[in-house]
Parts: sequence; C-alpha cells; structure tokens
Amino acid sequence: MPGIGRRFFLKVVSATGVAAACSPSHAPEKLIPLLNPPENLVPGKPLFYRTVCRGCGAGCGVTARSREGRVVKLEGNPDDPISAGALCARGQAELQGLYAPDRLRGPLARQGDELKPLPWAAALAQLGGLLGKLRGSDGRIAGLRLLSRCEPGSAGAVQRSFASALGAAKNARVVFEPRDLASLRAANMKLFGRAELPVLALSRARSVVSFGADFLETWLSPVEQARGLMAGRGEPDRTRLTWISPRLSMSGANADTWLCTAPGEELQVALELLRWLLDPVNQVAALPPEAAAIRAALPPPRPLRGVSPEQVAHLGRELSLRRPSALLGPPASASGAEGRALAAAVQLCNLVLGNFGKSMQLGLGSELDAPSPEEDLYALLEEARRGEVTVLLLHRADPLGKLPASARVEEALRKVPLIVSLGERLDATARLAHFVLPDHHALESFGDLEPRKGMLALQQPVLSPLWDTRASSQVLLDLAAALKLPGIADKDFRELSKARWQAGAKALGAKLDTPQAQRDVQAQGVVVGHVEALQPALKLDGLAPLLFTKPSPAEGLHLVAFATALANADPEAPGWLREVPDVLTGVSWSSWAELSQATAQRLGVKTGDLLALSTDQGKAELAALISPALHDDAVAVPQDAPELRALGTPGRAVRLERTGKTFPLALTGRASQEGRDLARVIAEGGAPKREQGHEQGRTLVAPHEHPQHRWAMSIDLDKCTGCQACVVACYAENNLPVVGPQAAREGRLMAWLRIQRSVEKGASLEASRVALLPSLCQHCDAAPCEPVCPVYATYHTPEGLNAQVYNRCIGTRYCANNCPYDARVFNWEDPVFVEPLQMQLNPDVSVRSKGVMEKCTFCVQRIRFAEGTARDEGRPVRDGEVTPACVQTCPAQALVFGDAKDPKSRVALAQAESRGYRLLEEVNTLPAIAYQARRGGKG
Amino acid sequence: MSAAIAERMRSLDQTTEDALRPPRYGWAALVAVSLTCIAIGVYSWSLIIRFGMQYTGLNRPVGWGVLITDFVFWVGIAHSGTLISAVLFLFRARFRTAVYRAAEAMTVFGVMTAGLFPIIHLGRPWYAHWILPYPNQRHLQINFRSPLVWDAFAISTYFCVSAMFLLAGLMPDAAALRDGSQGLRRRFYALFALGWRGTAEEWRHHGRAYLFFAAFATPLVISVHSVVSWDFAVSIVPGWHSTLFPPYFVAGAILSGVAMVITLLIPIRRAMKLESIITLDHFDMLSRLVILTSLILTYSYSTEFLLALRAGPGPERDTLLYRATGAFWPFFWLMVLGNCVGPLFLFFKRVRGSLVGLFFVCVLVNVGMWLERFNIVVSSLEHNRVPFDWGTYHPRLVEIGITLGSFGWFFFWFLLFLKLLPAISVSELKEDAHHAALHEAAHAA
Repeated sequence: MPGIGRRFFLKVVSATGVAAACSPSHAPEKLIPLLNPPENLVPGKPLFYRTVCRGCGAGCGVTARSREGRVVKLEGNPDDPISAGALCARGQAELQGLYAPDRLRGPLARQGDELKPLPWAAALAQLGGLLGKLRGSDGRIAGLRLLSRCEPGSAGAVQRSFASALGAAKNARVVFEPRDLASLRAANMKLFGRAELPVLALSRARSVVSFGADFLETWLSPVEQARGLMAGRGEPDRTRLTWISPRLSMSGANADTWLCTAPGEELQVALELLRWLLDPVNQVAALPPEAAAIRAALPPPRPLRGVSPEQVAHLGRELSLRRPSALLGPPASASGAEGRALAAAVQLCNLVLGNFGKSMQLGLGSELDAPSPEEDLYALLEEARRGEVTVLLLHRADPLGKLPASARVEEALRKVPLIVSLGERLDATARLAHFVLPDHHALESFGDLEPRKGMLALQQPVLSPLWDTRASSQVLLDLAAALKLPGIADKDFRELSKARWQAGAKALGAKLDTPQAQRDVQAQGVVVGHVEALQPALKLDGLAPLLFTKPSPAEGLHLVAFATALANADPEAPGWLREVPDVLTGVSWSSWAELSQATAQRLGVKTGDLLALSTDQGKAELAALISPALHDDAVAVPQDAPELRALGTPGRAVRLERTGKTFPLALTGRASQEGRDLARVIAEGGAPKREQGHEQGRTLVAPHEHPQHRWAMSIDLDKCTGCQACVVACYAENNLPVVGPQAAREGRLMAWLRIQRSVEKGASLEASRVALLPSLCQHCDAAPCEPVCPVYATYHTPEGLNAQVYNRCIGTRYCANNCPYDARVFNWEDPVFVEPLQMQLNPDVSVRSKGVMEKCTFCVQRIRFAEGTARDEGRPVRDGEVTPACVQTCPAQALVFGDAKDPKSRVALAQAESRGYRLLEEVNTLPAIAYQARRGGKG
Repeated sequence: MSAAIAERMRSLDQTTEDALRPPRYGWAALVAVSLTCIAIGVYSWSLIIRFGMQYTGLNRPVGWGVLITDFVFWVGIAHSGTLISAVLFLFRARFRTAVYRAAEAMTVFGVMTAGLFPIIHLGRPWYAHWILPYPNQRHLQINFRSPLVWDAFAISTYFCVSAMFLLAGLMPDAAALRDGSQGLRRRFYALFALGWRGTAEEWRHHGRAYLFFAAFATPLVISVHSVVSWDFAVSIVPGWHSTLFPPYFVAGAILSGVAMVITLLIPIRRAMKLESIITLDHFDMLSRLVILTSLILTYSYSTEFLLALRAGPGPERDTLLYRATGAFWPFFWLMVLGNCVGPLFLFFKRVRGSLVGLFFVCVLVNVGMWLERFNIVVSSLEHNRVPFDWGTYHPRLVEIGITLGSFGWFFFWFLLFLKLLPAISVSELKEDAHHAALHEAAHAA
C-alpha cells in the first residue's frame, strides 16, 4: 500500500494498541429511563407493605419496607394486636431467609441418584402422570399422605381438600410442628375439652411463674408476651416473675426469683404448688368449686430435691395475694405423660387462682388448623416403613431433620416410592425426595392466616419472587386440575385466598363494599374483630391419671434442652441469628453443652473441651461450656442443636466423657462487671448511687449547643429482656456484615449494639443474678473519640449526634481505643454479602470498606427521613416520630428515643426518672443515653 | 609523636581509606540479610493493604499492638543520637567526639524507620497524606487537637533537624573523601561536601552553624518523645492517661537510644578496627548515661504503680495490676529485669569495663524497652473500662514480619552509611589527635 510509511504504520499500531489496552473491561450498563414508570415507584422513596410473619406460629403482623422493588427491612405492624409494631430477632431475620443464598431456585427432579433441574411444566406433567398412574379405581391413591406445617388459612384448606380428594386414608394430611407445645395442647384437651393453646395477657398479671417456659424467647407468642410482662415493669410495684427450671435461661434472667429444680422436677414443684394452693390450711381465697375434686385427684406428695417446701409455700402465698397471675409451662421440650402432667398441673393452678379470662384466655385458638397429635405422625412413619405409603407430599416439613434419630425417619422415607417436597430449601428430607418443587418465601406469597379467633392476617407479597418458585398451594391446585380431582373447582390460589379472606373479614365486621375499602384492609394488613374468651369448664373425669407422677429423678446427669432467642446452634438458621452471640453465654456459630461449675470441676472439664455425650438413644459430640447458672445434675443443650436429634428427647440420663479434643467455641464478652456496677440494680424504691468525687458536667471546653434537637435515648434495664431483637434489627438496618465464626473467635464481630451480660454471683446458685446491659455508642457531648481523630472523621453534629464520616476515616483506630464504652467497630476486612444477600442492603446506609471505623449512628438516615417528612408537611418533628431500628423493634419497649431538648418528650421524661444514671459518669463524657436501673425486687 | 597518637592517626586515615575500598564479603552478606528482612516486611504489609487488618492480631478492645510498639521503640532509638551529639556538645563533653557520628546516623535512620509505622498501621494507608495540612479543593482541615497530628509534626521536624545536623557535621569529612576519589564516587561525596574547601572562613561558619544546630536540636530531644507520649497521655485509657508520661518516655527513649548506640558500637569498633579511637573510656561514659536513665525509669515505674494503687479500686488500679499479673506478666517482669535490674550491674566497674558484659546488659535494655512499649500499649487496651470487653491480643506473623522488616530497613541504611561514609568524625578526631601531639611535643620540649 503506497502512502503508508513505516512511521505512520507504527503510529497506527501503537494508537490502536493503547486504545485496546485502555478500553474498559466492563461495558457500561445502559441506563434508559422507563417509558411508563411503574406506579408508586419513585427511586429513593421507600414503600411500605403489610404482611404477616411466618417465622413461628405466633403470626405477628409485619410492615415491610421496600426500596426500588427490594424489601430491605421488616418491622412490626403497629395495627396488629399481636406484634403491636415490634418484632423478635427471628422475625427480623426472616429477611435473610428470603435472600438466603441456599434457597432453591427452581424445581428439581430425581434422575438416578441426583436431583437435576427441570422446568416447571415438565416437572408438573411428570408428577401428574405418576400420580395418575397410582390412582385406584375410585380415583384415589390409598397410600397418599401429605405432611405439612400448621397452616391456619387458605393454604391449609387447599391441602385438606387435595388430600381428601386424592387420598383415601382418614389421616391423609398430617400436620407436623416440631416446636409445638403439644403437652399443653393435650392437657387443655383433657382438662377443658379444647386442644388449643391459651392466649396470654401478661400485662394484666401481677405475678408470672414460668415452669421452664421460654415465653420471652420462642414459647407461644414471645413478642406479645414480652410486651405484656414489661408493661408491668419499671414501676415500683412491678410484675414479679418466678422462674422454675434447672437452667437460668433468658426468660429466667428476667425473674426476681429462681427456683433451681433438679432436671425433671418441675412437675413435682407444680404439683406441690397446686397442693399448697388447695390446702384449706393455707386459706387461699376464692377457690373454685372444683377445688376439692382437684385436691382429691392429686397424687401423694413426694419429697423435692432441688426446691424446699418453704420456697413452694412462699410462692403459693405470693400467688394467692397477687392476683391475677399467670403460670406458664411447660416448654416445647417437655413431652410424654410427664409433660402433659406438668401442663395440667400448671393449668390447674391457673384455674384455682382464677386466672382464666383475666391474664390467660382459652377459646381464642384458631380452629382452622392444628398440629396433629404425635401418634398420627408416628403412625404415618410406621405405615411408611411397612411400605404402605406410596406418595408422600411434604409442605415445609422436614421430619428427617427435625425428629430424633430414634424415630427412624430415614428408613421410613427410603421405603416411599414417590416423595414430593414443597419447601424453600434442600433440607434433609428434600434430599431424599423425587420431586423438589420450591415454594415462594412467605414474603413473596399471597395467603391468609387466622393467628387466633377474631383475627385475620393477610399475607401479601412484598416483592416479586426472586427465583423460579411457585406457591405450594398453587402447585396442588394445578395438580388437582390436571388430575381432574372432584370437588376442587378453584384454579388460582390467589383468587381462592382472596375470596376466603374477604369472607372472613366480613364475618369479623369489616366493610369491603368498595374497592377502596378492600385496599384499606389490605393496607392495614390485619382485620381484628371481637371474640369472647371462654370460661373453661373443668372436666373432672380422668384428672387423677392425667396428674401422673413418678419419683423425682435419681441423681446423676440429665439432658436438658433450652430455647434461645437466636439460633446460634442451628446450622440452617440465617447468618444474623447464628452470629449475634447468645445473650447468656456469648456463643455464636455453634452448639454447645452447658455444665455447672461443680460438675465441670468434678469431671475436670474446661470450657471448650469437646465432650462425648451419650444417652440410651445415641451419642453426640458437643463443646463444653461452664455455666454459672445451672443445676449440678443438668447438661443443657440448645434446643436448635442438631446433635440433640441423636441424643433423643430431653429428660433422660446422659453420660459424659471427655474426648481429649477441644472445640474452638466462638465466645464473645466476659460475664462479669468486676464490681464496676455498669448495669445497675436498685432495691425496691431506692435510687442508684451516684459516683462520688467528681463534678459532673464540668468541662474545660464549653459544652455543645444544640440549636434544634438533641437526639437522646433512654434504656430501661428493668424492661430489657435480652432478646436481642434490637441487635438483629441494627444488623438489618445498617448493613452490618456477618463475619463468620473465625472472625467471631478473634473478637471481630461488627455489632454496633450489643447486650452485655454479667452474672452477679449470690450466696447460692439461685441467688445469682444476670444483669443485661444494651450497649451502643453513647453519643457523648464530650466524646473522647472526637478530639483524637486527626482528620475530623468523627465529629459532633448540631443535633447532638456523634457522627462518623466513613469517607474521611483513615483508620488510625485511636477513637476506638479512646472510647471508654468500646462502642466503636473497625472494619478488619472488606465486608462480604454472599449473593443474593446484598439485595437486602439498605440503600440509605453506605456499605463500609476495609480499614474504616464505624459505630452506631442513632440511625441517622431514619432521623433525616422523619425530618424530611416533617419539613414537607410543614410541621415540627413529632415526639416518637423518629425511631432508630433498635427502638422500633423492641418488644418490651425498653428503649425510648427522642429529642432531649423538648422537656415534654418521652425520652426527656424517661431520662429524668429517679432510677436514671449514665454509664461511666466518672469519665464525664456526658452521654446522650440514660439508663434506668433495674429494680431488684424482693426475692 | 608517641606511638599511641600515631596509632590513632593511622587508624583515622584507615577509616577514610576504607570508605573508598570495595566492600568486603561480610558487609555484603549483612546487606543481603537486611534486604531479605525488608522484603519480608514489604510482603507482610502488602497483605494488610490488600486484605485489611484482619491479618494482624488486633481486635475489638485492642486497636493498637506491635506496630505502635515498634513506632515508639524506633522513636526512642532515635533519641540518643541528638542527645549525644547536641546536648553533650553544648556541655562540652569531649568523649562524644568518638561516638557521635554513629549515634547521629542511628538517629536519622531510627526516625526514618519510626516514621513508617504511623503509615503502616493505618486501616487505609493510601490516605496517609490526609494527616498533613495541605490546601485542598474540599477545604478539609486536619484536627489540631489530635495528638496524631502533633506526632506528624514532631516526627517530621525531628527528622529534618537531625538529618541537617548529621549532614553539617559530615561536610569536612565528605570533602576529604571527595578529594581522594574519582569519577562517580567523587560526585557522590561532592554532594555531601557541599563545595567544602576547608578555608578558615568556612571552618568559622561551620563551627557557628554547628553550635546553632546543637542548640536547635536540644529541645527536640525533650519535645519529640513528649509528643509521642501524648499519644497515650492525652487519651482517657486507664494505664495511658498519666501526666507522668512525658518525662518518663523521654528518659526511656534516652535509655533505649544509648543502649542501642552501645549495642551497635561494640561490633563496629571491632569490625572497623577502631579500638584506638573508640576506647573503653568512651564506653564507660555511655554506661553512666545508661545507669542514670535506667534509675529515672525505675522511679517512673514505681510512681506509676504507687499512684494507681493509691487511687483505690477502679479501672486505673485494675489495669496496672493486670499489666504486672495478667496475660503478659512474663513481658512485664522481663521488662523490669532489662530496664531496672540489668543496668544496676553497670555500677560495677568489672561489668562496665567488660565489653561482653556491657553488650549483654544493653541488648537486655533494648529488649526491655521494646517490651515496655508493648506492655503500655497492649495491656491498657486489653483492660479498658468495660470488663465485658476485656480481651487479649496475640501478635500475628504479619506484625512480626513488619517488625523484622523495620530492623532490616534500619540496618540496611546503617550498613550503607558505615561503608560509604566515615562512621566517626575524622576531622574532629584528627584535630584532637593533633592537639594531643602538640601537647606532647610541648611537654617534651
């Protein structure tokens, strides 16, 4: 080619080379605005949807905050009488269940030994064909069984009609709830003819007694119960709580009195208490007419080991005077005749004390669906083992993963030729299934729920399904249509559910005449009617055999299972529930076995030793943890621990052996205040002692002026239960990363808010007290972190916040060293949010990078949101309008937030309370957080 | 001229000639070791930069550890140089002449090492320059209330002044080397000689300037380590928050600095055959300095403990008791052994006069002083005000690697200096020797 010289050629080559080398590795995304933007979707503006939490059976109403089509935060529905705006830790973590990386993303079908992906149409066609072949001459499948969790709503109705149309057996549908309070249900059936659980109104109780029932963690309806109990706390004549159990659990940590029973002795204590109440010598007033009959049915007394008769009499006297009261029990782990007897004794105490209709109501339990009796489940497994079950449909039921190994579930499942799993993830049972048809997450589904009588909760999707999933009820309807099942006319589950909830709402008196009225109910999320509770009538026949008793268990170690508010021991739980340390032990990321100090000493066991536990059912290895608050005969294991399955139901004798190995437990925090009195307890009527010898408030530099607001918080230690819902809410709101077990062991948890614990040892084990202290950035007026930062990355805002500018931080960590409260958290590494967990990230809060300091901001984004709303509406910010995530979700309402400059604000009033004190007053940091000391009670 | 003086003169000439000779194998091996250490340090730091501080042993209560210990340690090492050359110059302590050049070089290289640590220990070291007040578009200011900013000023000032002081003293010797060399090497020495011709006028100015620098550098000896101590004293951490810290740190710095000078001079004297110039008398004088500062330090330790114990129960007392009895109790008692007990042996002439004994005591002081900083930094943070958060800190490989790297970095420069420049002030020593010869001649006459 003429005209191209050597130089020109080189120029062109180098220019193209440079251009090629510099070209961006990623082509920029095309940002084309939508021609018709979706209605209501304004970027940057949150949308709120109402639905219902399906994390447990309580049925709390939920408000979901959605940003740009993704739900980023769950909060309680303030219109819902159960949650009343609050949510527990597990409820908060439902969000991580939604975005769980291990959720199934499409249907799977078995091909040989493997489950392989398959399109929905093909999967349903194959399954329909198989079911069609199995139908007998009557069009039914004799061996069809449906195992489901409890579904008190349309989903349950669909399942029932499907099972009765296609299945032949009477109990073709079995409801399986591993954490059901079966004993209590059974006892209520025997005593009052109602197989249901009570609804508690603890705010009316003046004394509460719990026989090991973790009513602040998972038992029945923890959010509602925490609110109820704590409504009576803080005042001088506060609700008293007595805890009767071998282990001081979180609920027990809130008690005034702990009766430390030997394992399994709760029943004896309950019977003795009942005997005391009924004994005419004690002159308990207003005994019911059946008193004599009950007394006659009581088994002969037996000696108590852990608890003295005086303690029982003391409790009886308290209960006879402080009415109404509420006796709660037994926990979900109590089973068999003994569990039923304990439940019956507890309910009889309630009856004798006249608590029904006051603090405790029967007749409100939903009758739409209920867990089947245990016998039905075991019958199903037995049939399966005999090869009589030909089709097993599983709806969110994992018997293999949840039942004890002794139930021989795997053997039963292997005999079933066709297992269809309708769930969210590949749990142990689903792994054996032939078809795995993934269900929507609760937050993606339509549905309706009757949490209790006189209430209707709407389940509404808060975002479009993330994956190729399909509502299980819809799958059943589709199959029914394909098989032309008689009696199932509905094609669309959403329509079916809508018709049902509208009928239900109308029955409750809701007006649904106009589309607007319908929308209003949907926006409300819940319909509340009025249903009278029943005054239960005692059935006296069969009372004596129900109050079964056996001799107090022999000495020696026994297995005790306890519930925790989080799920550190559960390998299937979302990261937040595994990482936030258990409030009483500080353990995260693993299960553990607790031993008392004396037992550990006797066996020469140290915390972290790996123990081999064996019962008559099986063996398991667990890390030892020495507990300061446990009966010497107890070996306590968290209820969520998978190891518990091998060991069998709690209560049985257990043998311990050291394996010689250790397990690196991730433990956070020391359970001692070293006498520094950070979490204070005052005697009834007293005021906390003030620090002496320093002049509070005197500073060299003039204190800050706050022209408009001075945001402040008040924390009532008399109300804090330690449930850590606030901690998990903080994780959700502020994009805190989950760092994993190794970093947890290294003391690098990222929590901005922590519940610090300390066990104050008393003269005896029972006199030990657990003091809990929610600890977060104190937003000091004279903050020690501020002057030491060389680059002004932390500074005091005009609204009294101690702000942290992540972009400016260079990571000297001087501020953290100088913070007397250890409130600051350093990013030791770049945060990792495993796909698709990053979709949960709150766009209002930046994700911090490695090398940057961070800490509680009092949820400054929520403050700004409230201020912005107020400004748009041309009014000042209302008191209570600004709530940081922790305050918002606190079930016990222990936290109050607001403007301390407004003397009439709730926070200012709370801070002025006589129990008030500030942390480390002697350092004179002038914190914005005031604590109210816990009242000591008389116990 | 007596044999002794002739020997001194020959030895001095030897020093100048040595600088111009090709390096020996031993030297090259030492340089190779230093470079390896530097490589280890750089690699360790690169891990922190890439993956974050997770590679250190730091955690929630303990935000500072070995890296800050190293920082304070090297600032302390950098102290004796100025003390020996400037303060002793002002006091007309003649024994300084033989040792001050090495001490000054040690100072400069010590500051060069120390100055790296505030950058290395940052979470985001690539923004280290934000700590300096420079005009920027965003009008961002630095916080003059922060002791870390004071540090930046104190360290950079100290580096500039001590470097100038070293270079000023070096000028005549560098000129002598320049005149004895050719080519590239000549240009190298010419750089240090700054056109020195040795005229009477130049000598007069030089003397004046040297005096001025000495006067200027003296207060820095006090101020630099006081400022470093403020990193701790200004905070409210129990175990750090103490008005005793500035004098206590200065005394400690001088102790560690002098001990380091002795530790380095003993092998140098042997390797470079300087026995006639750096005599046992010099070591004797330096030993006395060690004893003095060690006693001040012992007094400071006692005061710290007595005050904390007298304060009654509380975080202050708990932290101090924890320091002596807690997780790192062996470190505490090793520190007492090295800094308080060991130097007491120097009261005995036998120990002081034996170079082996002296070397041993000084190495022990160096270890003790490093541990002192470690104890102060770590034990106080481990045992802060909230017992829930009490924790422990264990240094990790990366921190040990960086520490090793800092020693490599220091010795690399020091070895270069020993090879290329005279480790003793030849011109001043010659002057001394000349004076002595004249004196002798006068006596003979």
